[in-house]
Amino acid sequence: MRKLIPTTTPRLLLAAFLLLAAGAAMAQERARIVAVNYPLAYFAERLAGDAAEVIYPVPESVDPSFWRPAIADISTVQSADLILLNGAGFATWVDRVSLPRSKLVNSSDGLSDRFISTQSITHSHGDGGEHSHEGTAAYTWLDPDLAIAQAEAVARAMTARGLAPADAVQDRLDALRSELETLDAAAGDALADAGTVPMIATHPRYQYLARAYGLDIAALDWDAGATPDADQLQALSDLAAERGARILIWEADPGAEAMTATDELGLTSVVFPPLATPPEDGSYLEAFRAAVTALGTAATP
Amino acid sequence: MNALFLAYAYLRYHWARSAVLVVVAALILFVPAATQILLSTSERALVARGEATPLVLGARGSELDLTMSALYFSDERPDPIRMSQVEAIWDSGLAMPLPLHTAFSSGGFRIVGTTLDYFGFRDLEVAQGRGLTLLGEAVIGAEVAQALDKGVGDALVSAPENLFDLDGVYPLEMPIVGVLAPTNTPDDNAIFVDIKTAWVIQGIGHGHEDVVTAADIASGTDALANAAVVQYQRITPENIESFHFHGSQDDFPASSVIVVPNDTRSGTILKGRYLDPESPTQLVEPAGVIRGLVDRIFRIKTLLDVVTAIIAVAALAAIGLAVFLSYRLRAGEIATAVKLGARRGMVLRLLAAETVTLLFVAGGFAMAGAVVVSRNAESWVGFLLALGS
Repeated sequence: MRKLIPTTTPRLLLAAFLLLAAGAAMAQERARIVAVNYPLAYFAERLAGDAAEVIYPVPESVDPSFWRPAIADISTVQSADLILLNGAGFATWVDRVSLPRSKLVNSSDGLSDRFISTQSITHSHGDGGEHSHEGTAAYTWLDPDLAIAQAEAVARAMTARGLAPADAVQDRLDALRSELETLDAAAGDALADAGTVPMIATHPRYQYLARAYGLDIAALDWDAGATPDADQLQALSDLAAERGARILIWEADPGAEAMTATDELGLTSVVFPPLATPPEDGSYLEAFRAAVTALGTAATP
Repeated sequence: MNALFLAYAYLRYHWARSAVLVVVAALILFVPAATQILLSTSERALVARGEATPLVLGARGSELDLTMSALYFSDERPDPIRMSQVEAIWDSGLAMPLPLHTAFSSGGFRIVGTTLDYFGFRDLEVAQGRGLTLLGEAVIGAEVAQALDKGVGDALVSAPENLFDLDGVYPLEMPIVGVLAPTNTPDDNAIFVDIKTAWVIQGIGHGHEDVVTAADIASGTDALANAAVVQYQRITPENIESFHFHGSQDDFPASSVIVVPNDTRSGTILKGRYLDPESPTQLVEPAGVIRGLVDRIFRIKTLLDVVTAIIAVAALAAIGLAVFLSYRLRAGEIATAVKLGARRGMVLRLLAAETVTLLFVAGGFAMAGAVVVSRNAESWVGFLLALGS
């Protein structure tokens, strides 16, 4: 026993040192991928496995649509090996910062013919003549079919840059695609009868979801999770009466007071997180499935 | 030893004449050496910049103008090409395109709008401050910082393209956030901005007051168009959110595009795609264009060498004549030395020692001058090349 201690201790120490060194080397070698929203971060994590560190740089309480990165945040993004953009006008901050084009990948590139245009404002200034800002609905991942195309774009970018082994990425993509197709089928079943039920969303986030499953969703422009004031409730009441809507979709739980107020208008509240940020429970797939199930249940007579 | 001592004493006594002879001889030795050093350094600098830039894409026209614009940010203005050409190269997966927008200037220096990839491609390092981060920021070359006495925290204002161009280009004030380490290349004389900032200067992107105000919404007129909105001439944290671009980025302009193929095969494939003479764009190899220019310059240099040689021969003849005449003037002195017992060989040694001393001192000065030129040749050539742009 006395002899065992002095001979094994150095070996154990050496092994621990080698493990630490290997861990440090792996940490250094791991590629860094930045994603501008949660769905892209989720796809990247699923596709890269342990080969890359996926960074979602937006603070927890901030909507990535409105996030304004600080200089330090931009430096973090600039130093990544791959920067995943959503496109479709999502995260407009990228237009106002300097990013290395060689690392940028627009995951919805090639999907522009499937984008949904939003209203525009026409104005003029200087001598430049009149022009308009036409917008694009940005929450493309709420259509699983578009989400599959975006995941494929992420996989191509990873493979092309050698950030993860191509075979492994392809295997993971096949699995992810299969799960997204299953999700699409499940959502189709859950919302099969929801198309005839007019709905109102508290924020215009669900254009692609509505198109994918034939839903009739009108939108207000309320802050996520905020309790509506009297004017907003009146506008909601008028819109509900005009459209015969009986379902109100919330981005986030607004609290009991707000739900009670809208319930009194004869509207059934459904919380459908648009998933731009990580859901409180589960993953993109689980949260999406739970939300469409809740919406389908609410729409069932 | 006595001859050298006497020669030194003689030259020191006639110091004015000796100084003139030293200066003339030193110049005769120095000028061809310095010319050779500067020319060979210029050749190296020109060819090195060309060879470090694999391909340049631009509007069809003068290859030299396109190359000078893309490599040296010269005053040549090749027609712009659309950014869709840049995207086409990205989509091909054969090369990395680096768009350059060089239409504007500030303080006499070219504003170069590009992407961050350019800094990596040229190995440019920030010596002070930081790199480009936000729209509207500028990073300046070392020469720009020195010439304009500007640094991090100062600002530059883009020069109006045309005094009468009231519709298009408004000056934009750009904060300097970084100064690059010197490279002795045209990058030292450039003001780098994000290409999006160059588009803002051009008027393609702009920021302005809210079109729809709270008062509009309250009065129910928020859907009306609002004319004569005030545009911002400085991008600040307060107004940066209002900056936006109109139209598709594919239609935005670039002056030229540096194209860095993945490998030789990719470069060959790309070159083949731009061979059509009817195509509005061309892909040129800057090394070949620069080599042609250098060959032309060096044909002129041959003529220069002949002229220098003739002048050198004439100057040497003049020195020889001056020395010969001085010997004639010193005939009496030499005769006195002979009468005092100096042998003819001693007299010749004395005269030779004087001449060798003169040439040795002149050679020393010429060599010192050549060393100075050689040590500073790169920066001087960089400066001269920048003057040429």
